[in-house]
Amino acid sequence: MADSSQPSAPKPSSSVKLVLLGEAAVGKSSLVLRFVNNDFQPNKEPTIGAAFLTQKCQLPTRTIKFEIWDTAGQERFASLAPMYYRNAQSALVVYDVTKASSLVKAKHWVAELQRQASPGIVIALVGNKLDLCEDDAEGGDEGEGEGQGEEAGEEAGEGKGEGDDGKVRKVSAKDAKSYADDEHLLFFETSAKTGHNVNDVFTAIANKIPEASLKGPRGGATAGGGTQAAISAGQDSSRVNLNARQGAEGGPKEGCAC
Amino acid sequence: MDSLDQTEWDVTISGTGLPQSLLALALSRSGLRILHLDRNGYYGGNEAALALRDAEEWTQEHGDQAGQERRAFSQAELVNKDGERSQTGLGPSRAYSLALAPQLVYTRSNLLPVLVSSRTHEQMDFQAVGSWFTISAPLSIQQEQSIIPTMMKVPSGREDIFADNTLDLRAKRSLTKFLRFVSAYDTDELQAQWASIRDKPVAQSLREDFGLRTDAAVAPLLGLALVPSSSDTTVMAYLVPRIARHMRSTGLFGPGFSAVLPKWGGLAEVAQVACRACAVGGGVYVLGQDAASASTTEDGRTEVKLSGSEKVTTKWLVGCVDDLPHSFSQQTGKEDGKPWPRSITIVSSPLTSLFPTTSEGGVTPAGAVIAVDSPDSDEPPVHIVAHASDSGECPQGQCVLYASTASENGMEKLDLAVKSLLQSVGEDPKPQVLWSMRFLQRAPRSAVTQTSDSAREGNVIRLQTLSTDVVLEDGMLEDVKKAWHAITGESEEHFMKFEPRNGEAEDDSVL
Repeated sequence: MADSSQPSAPKPSSSVKLVLLGEAAVGKSSLVLRFVNNDFQPNKEPTIGAAFLTQKCQLPTRTIKFEIWDTAGQERFASLAPMYYRNAQSALVVYDVTKASSLVKAKHWVAELQRQASPGIVIALVGNKLDLCEDDAEGGDEGEGEGQGEEAGEEAGEGKGEGDDGKVRKVSAKDAKSYADDEHLLFFETSAKTGHNVNDVFTAIANKIPEASLKGPRGGATAGGGTQAAISAGQDSSRVNLNARQGAEGGPKEGCAC
Repeated sequence: MDSLDQTEWDVTISGTGLPQSLLALALSRSGLRILHLDRNGYYGGNEAALALRDAEEWTQEHGDQAGQERRAFSQAELVNKDGERSQTGLGPSRAYSLALAPQLVYTRSNLLPVLVSSRTHEQMDFQAVGSWFTISAPLSIQQEQSIIPTMMKVPSGREDIFADNTLDLRAKRSLTKFLRFVSAYDTDELQAQWASIRDKPVAQSLREDFGLRTDAAVAPLLGLALVPSSSDTTVMAYLVPRIARHMRSTGLFGPGFSAVLPKWGGLAEVAQVACRACAVGGGVYVLGQDAASASTTEDGRTEVKLSGSEKVTTKWLVGCVDDLPHSFSQQTGKEDGKPWPRSITIVSSPLTSLFPTTSEGGVTPAGAVIAVDSPDSDEPPVHIVAHASDSGECPQGQCVLYASTASENGMEKLDLAVKSLLQSVGEDPKPQVLWSMRFLQRAPRSAVTQTSDSAREGNVIRLQTLSTDVVLEDGMLEDVKKAWHAITGESEEHFMKFEPRNGEAEDDSVL
């Protein structure tokens, strides 16, 4: 179905599955909330299980619909993550710039993704809670220590007591960036609270998804007119829309015995 | 990591196969405490999808005959065990997602409305199964190279039938007449006629009652119905409803196709999405553990000893026969039937001619069905379901063929059927087999014969396993619904009807 809110000719549109991974309370859900609703909840409860959200990202030549799996950071039996990163085309691995151990966990996730996830998955390493670092808080109209409790992310109270002494940053941008470069990851420092860099992360991922993996492999040069029509109508050429059930045809033939 | 020892649960589900996972989905908003286990280190159980290396490990684990009586799969092997991988043109292991359950889902399947009403359908992609083909005079074991088998596309409608130049005018009229009968066979007007032919063998009835004499007219019908046995031993009561299902499913979600496939590895994807939904609702997932033994405690709960020796108590214990403690998994009878030979083959060609666009402006199919006649007319055919690389199961430029047959000693038949397909498909360069595995699957033959498979013993519920049918049957979900009803006591109209969760878009019109 074409997006009727678009006055101009519809751009090609594709879904991209994205999974968020990272230690508890680094702000995974807050990042998604900022991206999807442009909102921030100071004392957000920990995510149970996982959450599924969608958001569109407009690029100059195409529209990307992110299907986002936001996972729980404190997972009890390490059995959930594989079901979220299965078939994911992109992953956001999040750590907290004020907590060194969260980067260790992030590296663990990166290694697991590289070992287990789809080949060619686009991974972004994201250092969140930048607003807590006064020294380089670009977004920062709230540099005060008070911000910390609010940015505590998924587990209320976690991350408290890291000190109000102005040296809250525990992971240097340089170190994290150099690790990201070595592993060919996108790298950003963000603040879900101020919104700093949040959209940029998703846009960068959208831009890095290879165009070939978005179209149906046979949707290009060899496709017939029908396929082209489907693509220009803003649809994956092979996707069947289960919402498009033809009600009228059901009538007289209902009561199938099989 | 936490310990499970001494934890208490309302429902413990053993195994993450499709039936168990759908039950988990059905219970995901119930507020019940759910523990979902799988003895494997992966999701999907008998319906899993496997990367190439995982599939190779899987064949080793399921290769042994001894001690496998309870298990669905046996005698698994790689066909060219010592083929040099590096030279075969295979992609990296994880570029593959081979489906243990590549079943077709008819658009009228009871599964699809449930995925929509439970709001899980937006999390998966379904793709069309476009064309049906038949291959007659396939290669036989004795004379492998003699003649090139012929592949025919099954006409998909009246226009197709009349455009088909292999049929004479009389056959076309007869065929049209038969299809008109099928479209209304279960109505009052045709009741008498239906009663008079329903128990007749297919070949006889088509000849006597509909004037369909030639193979050219009969073979497409058998192919369309995916009849697993020979035409001599199949009765109209089996054939006609299946063709009717096909016809009535055509066009339901778009022109020119009647069945769909879940993208990314067949029914495995549905099972995973269902488990995720349960996890979102707070269900606890533990891989690598199953219910080793179970006993009833004094207060009527069930104590389950896990394979890791931890003990949990639960009100309900649910699983398929493979996943329950031995004491609950005795067969209810010998209705299981003989095991079916199956194979999975990766081919070096996209086999583009199998996936023509179904109609102007329609979707590009990712699935096709090929019914390969047996060289001996009293032997069952081989059915091949082809999944294009669009399915996400293999790299571009390749194709995965899932073959199965009810034939005894059918392993060679599967190979010959695949060869017949590759010879007759007319692609250039000629497609090569890059990799192949085969195995036996023991399962209920069809929902028709297994009404009693699901069973309850106290608070232990055994769910039906999927049948070996090429088509996903409605009985499986009905059985899940029964289990759900037993556990929740809720009435049927609430089954899988969920409101959007917080943060979920109410309805997304794009895509």
